[in-house]
Amino acid sequence: MPDRRPALWLFLGLLLTLGLVVLGLRVGSYSTSYSFIFNTFRHYDPTDPAQLVLVELRLPRIVLALLAGASLAVSGYLLQTLVTNPLADPYLLGTASGASLGAIASFVLVPSLTVAGVYLPPIAALVGAFGATLLVVALGTRRGRILPAPLLLAGVAVGALAAAVGSLLTFLASAEGNLRSIVFWAFGSFEQAGWRVLPYPAAALAISLFVLAFLQKDLNLLLLGEERAAALGLPVAQRRWLLVLLAAGLTGGVVALCGPVGFVGLLIPHLTRGLLGTTGRYNLLVCAVLGGGFLLACDLLARVLYPPAGLPVGLVTALFGVPFFVYLLRKNS
Amino acid sequence: MRVLYLFLTAALLASCQPESRPAAAVVVKDGLGRSLTLPAHPRRVLALAPSMTEMLYAVADTATIVARVPQDNYPAAVLRKPVVNNYPLDLEKLVLLRPDVVFTVEGITSVDDAQRLQELGIPVYYLRFRKVEDVFAGIEELGRLLGRQRQATQLADSLRRKLAALVATTPKSAAPPSVLAITWQDPIYCYGQNTLFTDEIRLAGGQNAVTETFPQPYPALTREYILKLNPDVLLGGSFGKLDSTFFRNYPELRRIKACRNRRVYPITGNLMERPGPRVVESVRELQKLLRQPYVPAN
Repeated sequence: MPDRRPALWLFLGLLLTLGLVVLGLRVGSYSTSYSFIFNTFRHYDPTDPAQLVLVELRLPRIVLALLAGASLAVSGYLLQTLVTNPLADPYLLGTASGASLGAIASFVLVPSLTVAGVYLPPIAALVGAFGATLLVVALGTRRGRILPAPLLLAGVAVGALAAAVGSLLTFLASAEGNLRSIVFWAFGSFEQAGWRVLPYPAAALAISLFVLAFLQKDLNLLLLGEERAAALGLPVAQRRWLLVLLAAGLTGGVVALCGPVGFVGLLIPHLTRGLLGTTGRYNLLVCAVLGGGFLLACDLLARVLYPPAGLPVGLVTALFGVPFFVYLLRKNS
Repeated sequence: MRVLYLFLTAALLASCQPESRPAAAVVVKDGLGRSLTLPAHPRRVLALAPSMTEMLYAVADTATIVARVPQDNYPAAVLRKPVVNNYPLDLEKLVLLRPDVVFTVEGITSVDDAQRLQELGIPVYYLRFRKVEDVFAGIEELGRLLGRQRQATQLADSLRRKLAALVATTPKSAAPPSVLAITWQDPIYCYGQNTLFTDEIRLAGGQNAVTETFPQPYPALTREYILKLNPDVLLGGSFGKLDSTFFRNYPELRRIKACRNRRVYPITGNLMERPGPRVVESVRELQKLLRQPYVPAN
């Protein structure tokens, strides 16, 4: 029986996240005490390398992990609702494979990775992500209506195609360095985080959560199936478009910045529903908080387990997420 | 002219004759401590790593070298040899080439691949290099295996003398400059402590900035780690090139001493990566880079 106290879980989630943020600020090559962290935020002195590291490297990394976790979890929740299938994840729309293809293409075709001073891989990944999503949505649409079953199949087909083209490019790439970049990218990482890129995923998440705050009831109606939802007065076609748009926006930006981090978008929506029930009012908010906390914890673990660069975060989400997921499944059934 | 043709035809015919495999065999231990049985006088050899090919060209009778790998480009004569793929390993072609022994370097050829070749009757001899002296010892070892001791010892000794002369000009410094050599920008990979670079840069009058030993020879580094290292010199590209790529993507790293003092230099591709007879050249190049004049920034 799910616990229906969303405020409690929200509070616990936020508390846990705050603890992880403080812990995350401490872990790294420079040893930094709590008092040092406190002093840094009171009087920031960028000429001190340890303070610079704290503010310019560790903090943006933490914020990116939180944003990515929250965005992927919410996106997974939306898509699971849209196709009424618990196996759906944020990459259902072909976002991950499209982004991977874009990134691989930039690694292989532009060895310098920089064109006119612009660092290419994230931009190529973003283009790939939205290209693939557009294709999937186009294939999953009949006369302006998004149909869940064709959408699912289109996602699988486009994903497979993009993966095949990506593999072909990888195979043809002879330089060993390229292969390293591709492998590294495929597992996902927050190492590239910096303040200048964070506003985009932050804005996408804030806008989505704001819009969705008015839509939680509609999401619950969608779960009833198209006919019953329509009979209850829900503009089903319109709502589906909105969900796809939000999910694509949330996922695309995140994948472009940190690579296709897996599992968080599948696991956290399940965890949320397990805690708060399928139709809870604050499900999306709790989902975002738990997703952010989970990914932050995974990144922290990755950095502690394998210094200095850390394990790829996607590996950690799978290694620690899967057993937990199986436990949830067994418990719920 | 006709005589020449005749001569060539004869040579061709001679080379087509089935070669009788040398009956005498020796049991040796390679650089990884694996025991193998080699013919006492191998007549057909090849290397799966460019550095080993360079070594073979310096030591072996070049007519006995039956093929090259795609990355080989030094000495220029190697380009005339047939190519065999080393990644993925072209087993069929290797069997077709019937080498008596295949030489490779630790880390380039997987032990699994070596095992498969072994099962196909082709022994794989590994060399491993931690110190520059290991390269000279490797040259002598190669000479022993190929029955070219005299050439190999001469070469190794002359390289040792050249290196000693080079090192003698390096002023003894209490605080040699720390040098970070990167091999890739995204993610940032570098030459770790357990690579030949550590010894090369020491001989050149510097020290590897990465003093910690990681399990992987070329570890990935975080920006934070590099800021902490704060290397005096960065190798991996000219200042202009890295300024528009590396330091543009990682602006925080502009604070390291190497960037502020503009001690950022490119290294000749294929020189530092190849532990072969040109290893002294590599040390010479590093020494030259460390001696480049610079204006210390405040």
